Amino acid sequence: MLAAIIITERVDAVEGKQARSCAGSWPMSWARVEVLGKSAVARFADSLRQEGCDAVSVIGSNPALSASASGSADYWVNAELLLANQKQEGFDSFLIACCGAYVELDLADMRAFHDEHGDGVTRAMAPDGPLDLWMVDPSRFSGRDGIFPALREGASADYPVRGYVNRLESPSDFRRLVLDGFSGRCRLRPYGTETRPGVWICEGAQIGRGSRIVAPAYIGRNVQIMEDCLITRGTNVESNSQIDFGTAVEDTSILSSSYVGIGLDLCHSIVDGSNLINLRHNVTLEITDRVVMRKIAVRGGDRRPWAEIERGQMALSAE
Amino acid sequence: MLTSGPIVVMQVPEVLNVKEVDTFMEELGPLLESNRPRVVLDCSQVRSMESAGVEMLLRCLEEVLKRDGDLKLAALSPEAEVILELIRVARVFETFQTCEDAVRSFNAIPADAVPQNAPWYADVFSELGVLKQAS
Repeated sequence: MLAAIIITERVDAVEGKQARSCAGSWPMSWARVEVLGKSAVARFADSLRQEGCDAVSVIGSNPALSASASGSADYWVNAELLLANQKQEGFDSFLIACCGAYVELDLADMRAFHDEHGDGVTRAMAPDGPLDLWMVDPSRFSGRDGIFPALREGASADYPVRGYVNRLESPSDFRRLVLDGFSGRCRLRPYGTETRPGVWICEGAQIGRGSRIVAPAYIGRNVQIMEDCLITRGTNVESNSQIDFGTAVEDTSILSSSYVGIGLDLCHSIVDGSNLINLRHNVTLEITDRVVMRKIAVRGGDRRPWAEIERGQMALSAE
Repeated sequence: MLTSGPIVVMQVPEVLNVKEVDTFMEELGPLLESNRPRVVLDCSQVRSMESAGVEMLLRCLEEVLKRDGDLKLAALSPEAEVILELIRVARVFETFQTCEDAVRSFNAIPADAVPQNAPWYADVFSELGVLKQAS
């Protein structure tokens, strides 16, 4: 029986190091960010279940994904506890993933490779280097040494991943994943209904009169696009976000629960609440004017942008 | 005859908030009231810009245009460029890579260099004459 343990952080985050980014630091792993309806981590867990993994456990600080939220120092401790428990339950192989990357893995093929090589530890290798993804025999761990040092420092057989790999190390990688999803270069497909070629719209989305959605584009669950907006060229607006009157969004990711104000021009960017990453200029800005951009509280209250706006100063500060 | 004063180049402060805008305008304001003011704002140091900063730029532009002058932005920092594009005012301003380029642009086609002795349509009719002869 095969069990999978997915840690929803990059290895560098688990080790307490700063994740790399092309535009300043970003507080969370890109793999946990909703992309075309679901995060890369959740999609990876789904794919493992579909490919016959008997148990999939997710360890991380995202309460939506994991049963118990934990600090970064506890990730590996929790993984070790889980592994010990599942070992007792009769699982004889484990897939351990520090899920910073989006990987399309042929699980059966990796398992066959692992059985064939008999090294006890098999590490997935992308063309540009090793991935933080291992298949292990639990007997390999004595319990005296931690799993992580044993995985990183111990000998392993290298399994070449033939599927699509995106390391999601930077905002540019994230945008590339979105565009690859739109163009079908990977198996990541947008959720929702393809209302016309290249335009996906999820349930609960509202598109205002005079607004244009130009393919490829994705409009997530409960998104509100107000009147006379333009959503175009590879833009994804994730769940519960709002784009206000007359704003044009091009080649941009609006992450979930973000409000984008009236009459703006957004290009080549990623917006998460009040944070704006512009990929063309390679800068990260924090916009403190809530009229321009802000995070939306999804539950409770009036979600209409004009109902809760307080006139404020617009401020930007580079990180 | 119209005359112009010197071209003024001013460094925009790093943070353009209400307070800094007031200080900056105390310095820049009198210059905008001259005849045909020609102003270059060096935005290379701008790291943070509030709505007061954007308003100030638009107000300055309005003032110089009223007096038949011009205002150009030079060496925009990425932060300034992103915010001006975001709120759709980037196209309102003429922008240049460097202050030197911006200053040079004022002298590119001086107003008094346009010949006044022949009407503008003279060239057109002379070209038509050439075409007639050719046909």
